[in-house]
Amino acid sequence: MNRQSIIAVMMLLAFGAARLTFEQRLSTELRAAHFHGARLDLDMREQIGQMAFLAALSGFRAPVADGLFLHAYTAWENVEWGRMKLDYDAATSLQPRCELFWDTAGWQMAYNASNAAFSDRNQPREALRLKAQREYFKLGEDYFLHGIANNPEKPSLYNSLGMLYRDKLKDHCKASDIFKKYSKLSGALTYGERFSAYELAQCPGHEREAYEKLVELYNRGENERLPTLLKWIRNLQDTFNIPAEKRINIPPEKP
Amino acid sequence: MPSDRAASPFSVSTPAISIQNLTKEFSIPFKREKVTAVKGVSLSVEPGQVYGLLGPNGSGKSTTMKIVLGLVSPTAGKTEIFGRDSADVESKEDVGFLPENPYFYKYLTGEETLHFYGKLCGLKGAKLRDRAKELLNLVGLEEAADRRLGGYSKGMLQRIGLAQAMVQEPHLLVLDEPTAGVDPAGSREIRDLILDFKKRGITVLLCSHLLGQVQEICDRIGILHRGALIREGRLDDLISIENQTEIILENASPELLAEIQSLVAKTPARILDQRKPHTTLERYFLEVTGSK
Amino acid sequence: MNAISSATRHQHFSIARISAISSNTLLELIRLKVFYFMLIFALVIIGSSFFLVKLTFQAQFQVLKDVALGAMSIFTWLLAVLSTAMLLPKDIEDRTLYTILAKPVPRLEYLLGKLIGVLLLLFVAISFMSALFVVVLYAKQQSAIAELVARSGSDGAAAEIRSILSETFTWNLVPGIIFIYLKAALCAALTLLLSTFASSTIFTIMVSVVIYIIGHVQPIARDYVVHSHGASSATIVWLTLESLLIPDLSAFSLVDDIAAGTAISMNLFLQTAGMGGIYVIVYFLVGYFVFWFKEL
Repeated sequence: MNRQSIIAVMMLLAFGAARLTFEQRLSTELRAAHFHGARLDLDMREQIGQMAFLAALSGFRAPVADGLFLHAYTAWENVEWGRMKLDYDAATSLQPRCELFWDTAGWQMAYNASNAAFSDRNQPREALRLKAQREYFKLGEDYFLHGIANNPEKPSLYNSLGMLYRDKLKDHCKASDIFKKYSKLSGALTYGERFSAYELAQCPGHEREAYEKLVELYNRGENERLPTLLKWIRNLQDTFNIPAEKRINIPPEKP
Repeated sequence: MPSDRAASPFSVSTPAISIQNLTKEFSIPFKREKVTAVKGVSLSVEPGQVYGLLGPNGSGKSTTMKIVLGLVSPTAGKTEIFGRDSADVESKEDVGFLPENPYFYKYLTGEETLHFYGKLCGLKGAKLRDRAKELLNLVGLEEAADRRLGGYSKGMLQRIGLAQAMVQEPHLLVLDEPTAGVDPAGSREIRDLILDFKKRGITVLLCSHLLGQVQEICDRIGILHRGALIREGRLDDLISIENQTEIILENASPELLAEIQSLVAKTPARILDQRKPHTTLERYFLEVTGSK
Repeated sequence: MNAISSATRHQHFSIARISAISSNTLLELIRLKVFYFMLIFALVIIGSSFFLVKLTFQAQFQVLKDVALGAMSIFTWLLAVLSTAMLLPKDIEDRTLYTILAKPVPRLEYLLGKLIGVLLLLFVAISFMSALFVVVLYAKQQSAIAELVARSGSDGAAAEIRSILSETFTWNLVPGIIFIYLKAALCAALTLLLSTFASSTIFTIMVSVVIYIIGHVQPIARDYVVHSHGASSATIVWLTLESLLIPDLSAFSLVDDIAAGTAISMNLFLQTAGMGGIYVIVYFLVGYFVFWFKEL
């Protein structure tokens, strides 16, 4: 190595020293802004293989995650739930900011896999089939919760989790809470607050609170006065024996 | 070239090239010892001369030339072009260079090549276009101006090389093996161009292994051997055989020849050889192939 | 005889000279058929969209964006490294370097012209690929909307149509594409620096590839150096040297998260882009330093 080459290496080392602190700080700020959240460790390497791991390390994380996502789709078609879960785990680890992956994984577990478990003809005992079904519900819930942790500003995962609590897990209190959070996010659809109130009305000990919320929504105007909202107000007014003068006049449902 | 070309801006006492005690050593990777390519060379090329720098392969000709052109820095000594240090970029304003076996950019046409080099010398617009046309005419490539260099013959490449060397109207040309690999007709054309440059007062530093051509066009030569300048001076002075005289007679009768022989016999001089002179193989070749 | 005067007025720094070298470099690289790379890229992104018909529209758009941007990233990087690696060796081998530097062209301008030529090539390439990407994305979007309307009517599918419109091209992708360009520009400047040291094109390319891979795991090395506990001194020294010498390429690999919907603030964008620009300038200057002393 001649003298100029050595000086050049020294110049690069000096530049490296000068940028080290700035890059460390920038890296921290980027992580705080939800960048670089992917988990790339030896477990990942075991999961996805050496070449895919190398590709993911070399800046092609998203296409590798997409490949795993597509592979999971094929696993679903072949009814290989275990393989599908592994692929979704890897895809969401590589692309934690892709809500689609969390949403699809949660939906597959909570709806398709759970349904398949409940309908499994190879399992004659219903209790065991129900148990398996609940386990899949929980797996779906995990995906939605982790998805929300990685994407706290995106409404779709809150919506999906709310639906899961409402329709499958029948946990109306959690459903209400999630729909309330959903309604505060940018891009959320208008039903968020209404759904939260409906679920709150089914959460033991919170019916009064739900009624007040429903009345508040009613008072906002015609856009909120949908049939389900009116039905809930009417039912709760009856439940609480609200005096006539304080009631909202809602005609009875047509048969 | 137009006759209103600017006269040399440099005083008559400033050599075109001045090389003073030039030494160049190259390091060998992973070894301590060095290779000395040029050892204490000093020479001077006056404006308007054609100077031949000769020597076997590895004698230091290319290294000397590259140092003169500022492409390589000397270990010791100094080189100047018209009084300016070769290492200064400014010194190259007045130099044109044609390397050995140049390729240029194959995808450019002849005209585009001259435009490219002209822009590097600060020419532009109509002045550049006119200059390119003029040079193409000078080197006989006006018909091939729109053809890509990838389709040029060796002789054509050397001629476009000469044209690019001349693009900024330099007062000094450095030519490294300008006729290497060129056929006799092309070689003659290039040699005639060099003589034309000489007539216009352009100084030429020429490196060549073709000693016959060097002999025809150079005023002075320097011979390098193992990095040292072993001979240097006017060509005629170096190669003429001092104690011999050549007389060529036309239409001499046998009686006249006999009388000359008897006259010589009376003196200490002697006739070493008496024969019909030969034309050169080159002239003969050109005659029979009908080339000019 | 007249007194000495300058035959020509020498400009110590000439944009015209740099422009001549850079435009010639661009022409040289385009003619090397590097645009065939873009043809392959076009086929990749168009081809990929046809295999996704079984997925939801949202999934189709996500995969299309990821594959297209990933292909843009790799092809731009490949273009940067391969085209830069051969520039100097080719000029030296063909001796065109001598004809250029024998003219009143400072070595700085020659090297700068070469780098700018490559940066222009990358700009043209990425502009073409981006335009094609937008066209394919738009075509896919329109086809998805048409399918939805045919299925459910325009009123019934209004919410889904809104969702599709928000899933396809957004202006958030522009910073991601700029980072792809910056990363490739950084790699080009680094490859140019390497080629001033190296005597062979293959060596330059191999080292560039290795640096590319190591550069993406740079934060791991840096974190280890900054927060290490109990590691051996040899490991610390090695990782320190590695994090000081190798550029942090992962800092510019933001397009994956951007394509997944993460927006980048102007402050972070400017900081990251500024860092990219500084890398290019520093690598160029170090390369110029080496080239200045290079025996030709």
